[in-house]
Amino acid sequence: MDIDTQVKLQIYDMVARTGAVPSTLDVARTIPAPLDDVAAAFRRLQEKRLLVPEPGDASRIRMAPPFSGVPTQFRVRVGERRFYANCVWDALGIPAALHAAALVEAVDGHTGEPITLEITAAGPVPVPCVIHFAVPAARWWDDIVHT
Amino acid sequence: MLLFRSEENVTQWCRARGLPMRPLVSLAQLWQLAVAWYGNRLTVESRRPQPDEMASIFASVGLTGAFWDPNADGWRRTT
Repeated sequence: MDIDTQVKLQIYDMVARTGAVPSTLDVARTIPAPLDDVAAAFRRLQEKRLLVPEPGDASRIRMAPPFSGVPTQFRVRVGERRFYANCVWDALGIPAALHAAALVEAVDGHTGEPITLEITAAGPVPVPCVIHFAVPAARWWDDIVHT
Repeated sequence: MLLFRSEENVTQWCRARGLPMRPLVSLAQLWQLAVAWYGNRLTVESRRPQPDEMASIFASVGLTGAFWDPNADGWRRTT
């Protein structure tokens, strides 16, 4: 298995188990692999749009979609595990990726009213809500944090 | 992308920011997108969908048109 795949799998394994995204050092120690090789793999995964680094610190991850490296208004509970998602799409992406039931705790984008979504094996339990995509698909990566 | 309790709340959110109203997506559609996008994300073969695959995924849940086209030149920055 090439180093990029090892690093990708390690990142997702660690965040899926703990809810916290790892740094380059965490991944290098766990594989184990040289830190420079892991840092280079982080850069290539970023080019493939599988990672978004923390601004100003490429050793840390802001996003490993659907997971967020920082707290957001989209919280996801899967059993005893707690995650943050980057957006409402990613909030559903976490149970989709983990193939597990989940509770998504979010808020109405306008009023701030809490909205809880229950995700079962069959999908989300219907509740009154809509999702608004403000940015067209061709421009999502102009500023993916904003998107 | 944000979650709203109602279309009226989206309208008010857009109006408050001077933003145009964009297409709305249902919870069922978003779940289908999440499964297509992330269902294998933790596996060896996972990768982000490429533009043509993205367009197919959107179309499969009824989302068509330039807004959902990742190659739509009209939406790209000119600078």
